[in-house]
Amino acid sequence: MVLFFAIPMTATVVWSVFERTQFWMEPGFTFLAYENFFTSARVENYLNSMIHSAWAVVISFALGFPIAVFVRRRVPRVAQHRVILLFILPFMISELVRVFAMRPVLGRYGLVNTFLMDIGLISEPITVILFSPLGVIIGDVLSFLPFMVFAGFLAMEAVQLYVFEVCDDLGAGGVRTFRDVIVPLAAPGIFAGSVFIFVNSLGVALVPIILGGPGAVNAGLIVNQAIVALDFPLAMAISTIMIATLMALLYIGHRLFDLTKILEPIN
Amino acid sequence: MRDDYTSELGHGLKWAYLLGIVGALLAPVFYVIYISFNEHGFAARIYEFTFEWYRVVLGDIMLVASLEWSIYLALGAVATAIPMGLMAAKLYKRTRHKVGFVTLMLSPLFVPADILASSLLVFFRHVNGVFELLGEALGWEWLTHWFELGFLTALIGQIVYTLPYAFVIILITMSRYHPQQTEAARGCGATGWQAFWQVEFPQIKAGVFSACAFVVILSFNEATRTALLKGGFDTFANVLVSQMLNVGMSGESYAMGGIMSIVAMTVIGGFIIYTLFRSERLERVARAKAEPLMSD
Repeated sequence: MVLFFAIPMTATVVWSVFERTQFWMEPGFTFLAYENFFTSARVENYLNSMIHSAWAVVISFALGFPIAVFVRRRVPRVAQHRVILLFILPFMISELVRVFAMRPVLGRYGLVNTFLMDIGLISEPITVILFSPLGVIIGDVLSFLPFMVFAGFLAMEAVQLYVFEVCDDLGAGGVRTFRDVIVPLAAPGIFAGSVFIFVNSLGVALVPIILGGPGAVNAGLIVNQAIVALDFPLAMAISTIMIATLMALLYIGHRLFDLTKILEPIN
Repeated sequence: MRDDYTSELGHGLKWAYLLGIVGALLAPVFYVIYISFNEHGFAARIYEFTFEWYRVVLGDIMLVASLEWSIYLALGAVATAIPMGLMAAKLYKRTRHKVGFVTLMLSPLFVPADILASSLLVFFRHVNGVFELLGEALGWEWLTHWFELGFLTALIGQIVYTLPYAFVIILITMSRYHPQQTEAARGCGATGWQAFWQVEFPQIKAGVFSACAFVVILSFNEATRTALLKGGFDTFANVLVSQMLNVGMSGESYAMGGIMSIVAMTVIGGFIIYTLFRSERLERVARAKAEPLMSD
C-alpha cells in the first residue's frame, strides 16, 4: 500500500509541476498545468461536476439513510445484517453494467418512457433523463446509493436502541428524533458515506461518458482526456486538486465528527 | 423489533420502500439480461427468446481470450490480496497506530478509479525508466521489462483496488475472535502457525472465503484501472466498454453485460445464501446449548 498507493499519490503532486514534453514530461518546476486548468473551461466543468456530485450525495442520503435507520430500529437484531446483505448484490454487480443498463431504461424508447406513455401519463418521451446532467446524477445515485446504506448502518450500530425508546417515551415525533438525535449520533457514518459518494461521483469518468452525452464532464473524465492528449502534467494537476479536495473533506469531517467512531464496532 | 407506537401499515410501507429501492437498483440489470435473450435486441416490437447472442459472444475467439485474461487477473488478485488482507488485519489488531494504519488501508476506497489509475500509470512509467537504467548499467536485461505496462501492472492496480475490501471483510470477522484463544494455544505448546491454522483460521474462514468471493467479482468487473494499466491485452470488461463507445449497443453488448451480471449474481448470491444458512445453523447451535441452562 505504501509502495503502490501512498507513494504514487504523493508523487502526483511532484509530477504536476513537471514540464510537459511532446509525449511525456521532464523534471522541472512550473505551474503551467495548474494555470492551464484554472484559466480554461475545465475549471467551470470541474465546479459543475462538484454541484452534480453534491446533488448525488443529497439524493443518496435522502433515499438510503432512512433505510439504515429503519433496519437498525425496527428489524430484529439477528436479522439486521441479513437485510443489509440485500444491498450487497446490486453493489457487487459491475458498475459498468449498472451504468450501461440505465441507457435502455432511461432512453427515448426505454423502459421508463414506454411505461409512462403506455399508462397515458405522458404523450412524448422525456428526453432530459438521459444524455444530460440529470442522467449523470441518476447514474451516480444508482451506482453509489448502497454505500450510504452500509456507512449509515455501520454508524447506526453504535446508537443504542434505548435512545429510540427514550425519544418515544418523551413523545418526540419522527422528524424531530431523526433531525435532533439520530443524525448527530450517526454523523461520522453519514459523513464517510457522503464523502465516498461525492468523490466517486466527481472522479468516476464512466458515468458521464455513458449517461452524460457530449457536454457532460467530470474530474475523472478531464484526467482521462488529458492522458489521451499526452498532457501528463495536466492530468497530475487535476488529480492533485481531487486528492486535495478529498483530504480537506476528510480532515474537516474528522475534526467535526471524529471519523474513528465508525470503526468502533470493528474494534 | 416492534413497539406500541408503530402501526402495522407504516411498518409494511417501510419494508415495501426498502425492497423497492433494492428492486430499483437491480431492475436495470435484469432488464439488460431480459434484452440479451431477445433475438431482435433492444426496443423491438416482438420478443423471441434466444441464446444466439450468448453463442456469438462465447464463439468469438477474441472475447473468449479477454474472458481468460479477466479470469487470470481475478485469480492473481485473490492469490495476492487475500493473504495480504489477512496479514494486514492481524497487524491492525496488534498495532498501536490504528488510525494511521486503517487510513492507509482504506484510502484507496475514496480515490476514484481514474485518478488512481492515472497516478499508477505515470508511476509505472517512471519506475520502468529506473529499472531500464539499472538493467543496462548492470547488464541484466531481464530487469528492464519489469514495470512495462502489462499483466503485472494491471494486477498491481487491481490489488490496490481490492485489498481494502478484503481487509475490511476479514477484519469484521476477526473482531468476533477472542485473541485469548491464541494465547491459550501457545500456552499449550502450539507454534504460532499451529495456533493460527488450527485455532484461529477455522473461526475466521467464513470471512476469508467471503473476501475471496468479493475480490474475484471486484476484479472481474473492474474496467477503468485495467484499461490504463494493462498494456497489450484486453479484459472482458474492457472489450465491453470499447464496444459500447465505438460500436454502440448491440445484442452482443447486452449478452456481455448479461454474462458479467450473471457471474456476479451467482457468486455473491451464493455467498449471501451460504451466509444466511450458516448464521441460521449457528443460531440453532447456540439455542441448543442454551436450552439446558434455561430449563434449570
